[in-house]
Amino acid sequence: MSETETDVMPITATDTAGEGTDPANMKPEVQEALTLMTEVCEAIGGGIYPEITSLKGDYLTVDLAGGDTAETWGKAGRSLDALQFLCNLLLARRIQSHLRLSLDADNYRERRTEALTEKAREIAQLVKDGDEEAVMEALPAHERRIVHAALMGDEEIETYSEGEEPNRRIVIAPKRNR
Amino acid sequence: MENLISYLVKSLVDEPDLVNITEVPQEEATTYEVRVAPNDLGKVIGKQGRIANALRTVAKAAAKKDKRKIYVEIIA
Repeated sequence: MSETETDVMPITATDTAGEGTDPANMKPEVQEALTLMTEVCEAIGGGIYPEITSLKGDYLTVDLAGGDTAETWGKAGRSLDALQFLCNLLLARRIQSHLRLSLDADNYRERRTEALTEKAREIAQLVKDGDEEAVMEALPAHERRIVHAALMGDEEIETYSEGEEPNRRIVIAPKRNR
Repeated sequence: MENLISYLVKSLVDEPDLVNITEVPQEEATTYEVRVAPNDLGKVIGKQGRIANALRTVAKAAAKKDKRKIYVEIIA
């Protein structure tokens, strides 16, 4: 018996998670999202459970904890993104609001944000040095947003997306004076 | 595993009672055959197979802990 099974509540929401996530005072759509994630985790099995980490605007961040989550969901972003995509489909069938789930495991999102930001800056430097545009690998919408944001302050380049989902890619191009 | 596939597929369709999952064990891997009502096919396949691909990715990830190779096939 590991200690995590005894000292952690299966469903928790700390008071730092934001308004409307307190279990006693939870918005109905947040409650519904938590119920959905609890069902999904039970179906996955192996002792994993959801924890609400934050509610910012329409984005509810839910951390997958317990069991082998770090190993299974915290490493390959493709798996976590596929699960997030399916969970959002299911949530949209249950609620009317625009609430969206952002799933995390073992801080994967933070590590991925740092890696994407670093990569975007590297490519931006190459674009400036060579004065030629570059196309990044295809990324899901929530990751493209990270890249756009990372390069937004750079006066010498511009970023835009081209192609259709799920093969939409970011182009990093030198900014021309118009 | 059947639990997870069944839960996800039944949640996606309009007629969960008509969802049928058959487990076909083979030597190297297990195949899960998914059958749904004809009108629900699009709901489990999605545009360019996006939903079907997500189902496969999630099922494979969840199967890792069982150290077992799995396939998910949607049977029309």
